[in-house]
Amino acid sequence: MTRHSLRWRLLLAAAAGILLALALAWLFMTLLFERHLERRLEAEMTRDALGLVSALVFDARGQPRLQAEPGDPRLDKPAGGYYWQVSTASGVLRSRSLWDSALPVPVAAPADDWRLRDATGPFGRDLAVLEREVVVDADHPAVVVQFAQDRAPLADARSEFGRELALFLAALWAVLLAAAWLQVRVGLRPLARVRGDLELLEQSPDARLPPARLREVQPLVDSINALADARQKDLAQARRRAADLAHGLKTPLAALAAQSRRAREAGAAEAADGMDRALAAVNLVVEGELARARLSRLAQAGRASAEAQPVVERVANVLEHTERGEALVFASEVPAGLRLPLGEEHLAELFGALMENAARHARRQVRVTATAGAGWTRVQVEDDGEGMDAARMAAWQADGERFDQVSATGGGLGLPIARDLVQASGGTLQLGRSPLGGLQVSLEWVAAGTPPNTQG
Amino acid sequence: MRCLVAEDEPHIRADLEVALQAAGFLVDQVGDGEAAWYQGDVEDYDAVVLDLGLPRLDGLSVLRRWRKAGRAFPVLIVSARGDWTEKVEGIEAGADDYLAKPFQMGELVARVRALVRRGAGKLSPVVEAGALRLDTLRMTATFEGAPARVSPLEFRLLDYLAHQSGRAVPAGELADHLYGASDSADANAIEAIVARLRRKFGSDLIRTRRGFGYVLETE
Repeated sequence: MTRHSLRWRLLLAAAAGILLALALAWLFMTLLFERHLERRLEAEMTRDALGLVSALVFDARGQPRLQAEPGDPRLDKPAGGYYWQVSTASGVLRSRSLWDSALPVPVAAPADDWRLRDATGPFGRDLAVLEREVVVDADHPAVVVQFAQDRAPLADARSEFGRELALFLAALWAVLLAAAWLQVRVGLRPLARVRGDLELLEQSPDARLPPARLREVQPLVDSINALADARQKDLAQARRRAADLAHGLKTPLAALAAQSRRAREAGAAEAADGMDRALAAVNLVVEGELARARLSRLAQAGRASAEAQPVVERVANVLEHTERGEALVFASEVPAGLRLPLGEEHLAELFGALMENAARHARRQVRVTATAGAGWTRVQVEDDGEGMDAARMAAWQADGERFDQVSATGGGLGLPIARDLVQASGGTLQLGRSPLGGLQVSLEWVAAGTPPNTQG
Repeated sequence: MRCLVAEDEPHIRADLEVALQAAGFLVDQVGDGEAAWYQGDVEDYDAVVLDLGLPRLDGLSVLRRWRKAGRAFPVLIVSARGDWTEKVEGIEAGADDYLAKPFQMGELVARVRALVRRGAGKLSPVVEAGALRLDTLRMTATFEGAPARVSPLEFRLLDYLAHQSGRAVPAGELADHLYGASDSADANAIEAIVARLRRKFGSDLIRTRRGFGYVLETE
């Protein structure tokens, strides 16, 4: 997951980058701190050394003597960590803290300035030693003045600082990491939006991604939309070809039907029967393909709506001219002005499919009723025939027959066409038993695009 | 009986000719819309089989021209498209029946025969009842002078009531007439037809006499 996630990659890179930067910061800061300590140490010892030099005199015998001892209490405590020593050719003066030890005297101490150097001193300690050759007065030889301080407290301070700094930087790392996570999250949000929009694209080939709010994402959106355009074009072309093919097959099919009839007349009834069955099967496929082509036109038409009542009347008028429809009454209880979210052509297909199917099974009448309320519209097409048996109705409801399955089950194309039309326009189709006795097909659109107007 | 076949596909045209001749028709055949229109305009046919996808002049235009010129012969339209908008347009242009390609020749012949039967055998071609005028030859109606759309079933009900000279006809009797034998459920269907007619022509056209039946208003 980590390897293939942009979020994790960005987070890992941020974590590593910040960690490296903070480690460098730690190194640099401890170094600075150490230098600061060193400078303070040098300043302190120089100050004390100058005080010592100013109190240094020679007695009558030429021995060095201090008029006043330096005040630091560490100098009075044996192995106190702070030491001084004045060495001359004639004798040595040293702090009480040195006890019976001595600071190593350099062969040649600088005479012009104080020098700080490291040395191993008494009691096995690492020392910082400040030293200089000083001429107290012209009558006496130069003396070497040395101040030394134990380095252990310095190292302690440094490591303590390093530890605390590391803790602080770790906390800072966590905060920066959280910030990076937030940044990645916010930064990737436009992509998540694009992904959400892409799901819409998957559902409908006509959908396009809305313009991106961010300049950087727009090229991606443009590319995806261009891809969707190309896909839709291919799809439309394929559909057109399929429709053309289905269409082109119709006339040859009619000619084949004629051939079959001739064969029957010539006495080859069995061959003609087989041919008729095959023709009927091909015809179903052709009708299904044409229905699909009409559905795709519906998708291209977008959000249209048309008044239901005139369409129902016109379809009834057509059906009343058919042999079956002639003997039926088509009762329409559709309020004038009620609109359904389908264009007129598709509404004609919908009612045509449903009412023709109802007419095929009706005994005396086919009834179309429509009602609408706030945000919903319901249409029912029912007949007074035998009705559909419960098992088939349940099976149909559960997964529904497709155009390509109806030939196997012997059903008509009406219901699958109607269902696809209704679903394409955002509605639902349910089957039930009509109070008239036959099948009741209920169509429902909830929160349809156009508010139904039930005023006649 | 004369029948005109207008179809551009030569095989189907030849086949239609053979089948209709076998059914006892005298068949004229044409292969394009212009010829079909001319033929229908100058000759009297008992039935016409008209393909909608004709070259030069499409079938729907041919049909509209005929009807405009008062040519009243029954027309069966045949189409490869078979969608409902086309069916609606065809019927509204004046077709009497439609058949989608590919069709069974037997079914086509049966439909043509039914069309001829519908148009024939009417003794009194026009029945008048108040503002309603029924043309029994073409099975069309006019109401207050304007053409009105009635289904064959509605037409037969109106026709029956119009011949009862003001007598109240019980629903059962109407069902007997319309459906042959009847049962209790048919009264419901009769009620639905009457409701439809009242919606088309106003509630005064057919009155209900409680306990007796329906009366067609002739005043």
